[in-house]
Amino acid sequence: MDVSDILAAHQAKQKAVLVEKDIPLEVDAGFLTVTDLNPIDTESYEADLEEYLMSTARDGVQTLIASLFSLPTISTDDGPLAQLPPPTTQLPRAKPLPKPKPPTKWEQFAKAKGIQKKRRDKKVWNEEKQEWVDRWGWKGANKDKEVQWLTEVPANADVDFDPAKAARDERKARVAKNEKQRSANLARAAAAGSSSDDRKKTIDRTLAVTRTSTASLGKFDRKLDGEKPLKGVKRKFEPTETSASKEKSQNLAIISKLDKEPMAKKSKKSSDSSGDVLNVRKAIRSASKGKGSAALAREGASKGGKGKKGKR
Amino acid sequence: MRPLTEEESKTVFTKLANYIGKNLVHLIDRQDEPHCFRLQKDRVFYVSESSMRLAISVARPNLISLGTCFGKFTKSGKFKLHITALDYLAQYAKYKVWIKPNGEMPFLYGNHVLKAHLGRITEDTPEHQGVVVYSMNDTPLGFGVTARSTVDTRKLDPTAIIVFHQADVGEYLRDEETLF
Repeated sequence: MDVSDILAAHQAKQKAVLVEKDIPLEVDAGFLTVTDLNPIDTESYEADLEEYLMSTARDGVQTLIASLFSLPTISTDDGPLAQLPPPTTQLPRAKPLPKPKPPTKWEQFAKAKGIQKKRRDKKVWNEEKQEWVDRWGWKGANKDKEVQWLTEVPANADVDFDPAKAARDERKARVAKNEKQRSANLARAAAAGSSSDDRKKTIDRTLAVTRTSTASLGKFDRKLDGEKPLKGVKRKFEPTETSASKEKSQNLAIISKLDKEPMAKKSKKSSDSSGDVLNVRKAIRSASKGKGSAALAREGASKGGKGKKGKR
Repeated sequence: MRPLTEEESKTVFTKLANYIGKNLVHLIDRQDEPHCFRLQKDRVFYVSESSMRLAISVARPNLISLGTCFGKFTKSGKFKLHITALDYLAQYAKYKVWIKPNGEMPFLYGNHVLKAHLGRITEDTPEHQGVVVYSMNDTPLGFGVTARSTVDTRKLDPTAIIVFHQADVGEYLRDEETLF
């Protein structure tokens, strides 16, 4: 019996499964990644590109799948699942490292004095209840004095002295003081961290935002004198080959808008050029208390009638 | 070459309206062929749509002129009318000034119009109003801005300026290099 055929077939099968390269492939099963560091074989690359790429890819996938089968598995309803190890490839951070926070006033003091930071337990032992209670918060130990049923009252206390209220006020004052110190620390950090340039930049940015924060996104706002155009805004032009009818209607719209403006200007000018010290429109408005000339005339007529009556 | 922005259109139209008033609509809404305004190297051209479409294929540095040059934008964003716009201004002018033959040459050399040279003037022309200047035989010579209203001119002495010179046809010769 000649088994050489069978052996050869078996060997060929084994060959297809094993991948042999000059530099072994790097497998990162955690990311399901294979990296082939071997230089390109120029001859086969130029002879048949597709064939070469296919064979390289096949080798890579073969190695990856072989490594997957060597991983520990768990069995599930959908069949065995390989458990991937944590990835070994180091990926760069997406965001820069956070900047260190500026030290608070206490931290500065502690550093100067060489005071080590001690972490206090969040819980304290309550002898009476024989259990651990929170240092603060809901049913916290810092509220003991407010809830105890018997309190020592100093001899010189007022008649309406409420020990529970006094304790509570004291605690609230401590909270307020801490909050004040915290905000002072924040303010100090902000002042130290920002130069005048930064501040100018922030103000400019705020201004830019406010200018586009109207109902029309700043399009129909009245421009102030000496207001500079926004920086960093790209000019957008209509395409040169717009349809003539569209352009015509746009231009006509601009003209109709212009027609309204000069009217207002003209009326202003005429009142100026006539050299009148008295602004009639304004005078009527103030005399009629904003009701207009018609109301003023009506009022005048009724007064006149009364006057006549009085004379009689 | 590009169309004017809204801001630019406003500037151009305000300037034109100073001379031709409501007739400005006839420039935009034309019966014969649609015309449009185009900006090329700070100059504003009034051009028919067909020639504008032909000019699209000309590269920007190679395009010298198209249609009728109406004027140019100064660096500070003001619009200055050129004498080339006279044809359209004369056609639609609202207020006109005719000057006597002895005043034609002084005006064509770039001087203001004096009262002595004034032949006729449109009634009720206001002060600082854009006017087109004609010779007595109705040939448009240029345009300017009135110094006084028609009523006020009556009291003035003959050497007083009536119309401030802005552009005249003499510029075709004098400013030949820079005009186009």
